[in-house]
Amino acid sequence: MLATVSSAILVGVEGRPVTVEVHVSNGLPSFTVVGQPDTSCRESRDRVRAALLSSGLAWPQRRVTVNLAPSEVRKHGAGLDLAIAMALLVADGQLPAEAVTGRAFLGELGLDGSLRPVAGAIGMADALAVEEVVVPPGNAGEVGLLARHLVRAPATLAEVVAAVRGERPWPPTPVAGPVPPAPPGPDLADVRGQPVARRALEVAAAGGHHLLMVGPPGAGKTLLAERLPGLLPPLSRDQALEVTRVHSAAGLALPAGGLVERPPFRAPHHTASAVALVGGGSASVRPGEISMAHGGVLFLDELGEFPAAVLDALRQPLEAGWVHIARAGVRAVLPARFLLVAAMNPCPCGERTSPDSCRCSDLQLARYRRRLSGPLLDRFDLRIEVARPDSRALLAAEPGEASSVVRARVAAARAVAAERGVRCNAELTAEQLEHLAPLAPDARDLAERWLSRGLLTGRGLQRLRRVARTLADLDGRDGPLDAEALGTAAHLRVDPSFTVTRLAG
Amino acid sequence: MSTTADPLPPEAYVVALAGLDGMGPARLRALLARWSPAEAWRAVLDGRVLAESGAVDGERTTAEMERGWARRAATVEVAALWERHRRAGVGVWVWGGAGYPTDLLEDPDPPPVLFHRGDPAALDGPRVAVIGTRDCTRTGRDVAFELGRDLATAGVRVVSGLALGIDGAAHAGALAAAGAPPVGVVGSGLDVVYPRRNARLWQEVARHGLLLSEYPLGGPPTAWHFPARNRILAALADLVVVVESHDRGGALLTVDAAEARQRPVMAVPGSVRSPASAGTNRLLSELEHGSVCRDATDVLVRLGLEAGAINRGVDTRPAPQPDDAAVLDAAGWEPVTLEQILAASGRPLGEVVLALDRLEADGWIVRRGGWFERVGGTHR
Repeated sequence: MLATVSSAILVGVEGRPVTVEVHVSNGLPSFTVVGQPDTSCRESRDRVRAALLSSGLAWPQRRVTVNLAPSEVRKHGAGLDLAIAMALLVADGQLPAEAVTGRAFLGELGLDGSLRPVAGAIGMADALAVEEVVVPPGNAGEVGLLARHLVRAPATLAEVVAAVRGERPWPPTPVAGPVPPAPPGPDLADVRGQPVARRALEVAAAGGHHLLMVGPPGAGKTLLAERLPGLLPPLSRDQALEVTRVHSAAGLALPAGGLVERPPFRAPHHTASAVALVGGGSASVRPGEISMAHGGVLFLDELGEFPAAVLDALRQPLEAGWVHIARAGVRAVLPARFLLVAAMNPCPCGERTSPDSCRCSDLQLARYRRRLSGPLLDRFDLRIEVARPDSRALLAAEPGEASSVVRARVAAARAVAAERGVRCNAELTAEQLEHLAPLAPDARDLAERWLSRGLLTGRGLQRLRRVARTLADLDGRDGPLDAEALGTAAHLRVDPSFTVTRLAG
Repeated sequence: MSTTADPLPPEAYVVALAGLDGMGPARLRALLARWSPAEAWRAVLDGRVLAESGAVDGERTTAEMERGWARRAATVEVAALWERHRRAGVGVWVWGGAGYPTDLLEDPDPPPVLFHRGDPAALDGPRVAVIGTRDCTRTGRDVAFELGRDLATAGVRVVSGLALGIDGAAHAGALAAAGAPPVGVVGSGLDVVYPRRNARLWQEVARHGLLLSEYPLGGPPTAWHFPARNRILAALADLVVVVESHDRGGALLTVDAAEARQRPVMAVPGSVRSPASAGTNRLLSELEHGSVCRDATDVLVRLGLEAGAINRGVDTRPAPQPDDAAVLDAAGWEPVTLEQILAASGRPLGEVVLALDRLEADGWIVRRGGWFERVGGTHR
């Protein structure tokens, strides 16, 4: 007898509907899975068998063929367990055919018959055009966010069987109650002094400008970077769903309500591989750190320690906001629009607090300089020097502005940008700059002086104008950019100290 | 021992001897005191040095070293080596021979051989060594440049080591003045430019003045060559000026060498908070009265030379506006970041940024990456 059940698999962060067909016929007892299952998928035979027996159901002593259609896509993971079990029960005559019509099933089975959550449930459920989805309780929250299906969240296979037979009602789906607001991350008020770095953080948050901080150990680079997500406005509903989808697909723990509402903060270590960073993998395309940072902040500490190949792999996603991963059998487009914040020591010994003060040899400095390619360095609209704060200043300084105050200014500036039709000023095109960021006469003088002295290129000026636009927006100033905005933008984009050579004779 | 007429001059054998590993000035002097150069070379070839020369043994020459010399010497074509030096335009002075600088003749540790390129007449006249640290500040470099320039203008030969930092800046200043010729004393063969970054400076010094070295062509810039080079610097100078030195800088070794030779030493005072001036400031607290060097005039007065000839030039920079001057003061005299200027001036970012730009345009401040450095007096 034949049975078909709807389910889905995950490719990248998107779901793809899969039809599970099970055929049970007379013959020698056997169990074959066809339709490009990978190892973890093939192993579902043993999980399904144990789960059926644990749940008081029979394992057919007949010839069983499982087909996972469409067959050209490689099936990965254990998420099809429940669908296979249900199709098997129908094909074996233990359940009526109506039990699985109009329903889709997602979930991994435990040997005791329990339903275990799977990664990417929200993306998979979104691909299903059925009225009712049955998912493990651990996935109910995120799937419920879609508000497209009737979500059933039984805890065990036995509960599923009882419910579809009509013997017992479906167990109540856990309803996401009022979710307590997420704890507000570290606050900017903890940062004493450092007005330039604070300003740079605010500009980065408001304009979506990538930020590079260069400074000796102990200058507070990590402290500053960790406070950046707290300056970003909460994600909109659409952004939050998109981010939730990625986090679910990546197997990250989702917050209590299922929805990721705060911009994420990812800080991969510099030993991360290119695949871990941009995503990939051979069987399935797993989202990398840059996708997990989608909508939030990617912090690369010790930027100079990352392998050059890994850093260069960042360049395309930085420009495009997504990354296209292609493998032999599978390809996927993963979202990757993130705010890049990087930190670096000024030199290998880290003690170059003034241009001629450190003990690194010229050769060491030159090597360090080569670690970062020019094109990558160019992607940073903001490049600042962070000095170790003076200890007296630390004690004397008033607590800085709180994150909430800065966040309000950032939100206002982003609202201005939204009126221009972009998410943030970093996305302004050259044509938009012409009429949205004209230069006032004094700023024009300044720019001409720099251009004529070779301190600035035309391309560099465009980048400065975007940052200057953000600076003016933050101060609530409309109209042409003045010299103060342009000058400040220039001082927030200095040549990093490791590009500065020491004085020769 | 000269049975047939030797076509090579004795200097050729000194050059060959000086190129042997571990053949320092003391050993070479001892060999040349015992034998003529050609005989000494033959003694080295035959491995007779230890047996026949007690003085060399006194220098703890080992039998192993002697075997090494003999092996090495067997591969050296003395005539070819000599030809190479002649082609390169490198002259050779042997202690006691013609041309050898008189100041070094009486030296307690004279170089037995000196290689030179350029005009030997560059040594004729008052000579002042301007030395200091490689890790100098912008201020230190500017002071060294101005000292070099003003001394050269006043007819004083600037002697220095052609290192990075202060040494190079002093020579750059001397060359800029187009006055008295500069004298460079280096720690490697005259064809081994070290540090590479100063390659142009080497060429210019050789073209307009004189380059000296104790080492034959191809001699590597070995670490111990530099302290040894410093004693020649001290011996050639009538006076030594230290512009900047860290607490244990190599420049202080030159000071020791100068004091051992009764050469007066002067030092440029620096900020008590600048590590690059820690050594010089300590030196000043130990030196006799009148050792403070503020500018070339102080040096000329100490040398007893006419001091009126220096044309200091006029500061042509427009005076900064009062607000800008406050920012300039906040910048101090050491390289600072924007953050530090903001903290010191207490002014808002936008104002400071514009003030810095005006100051930079008028030449009061220079920017290197994220650092700002104040520019004092007249500069390059």
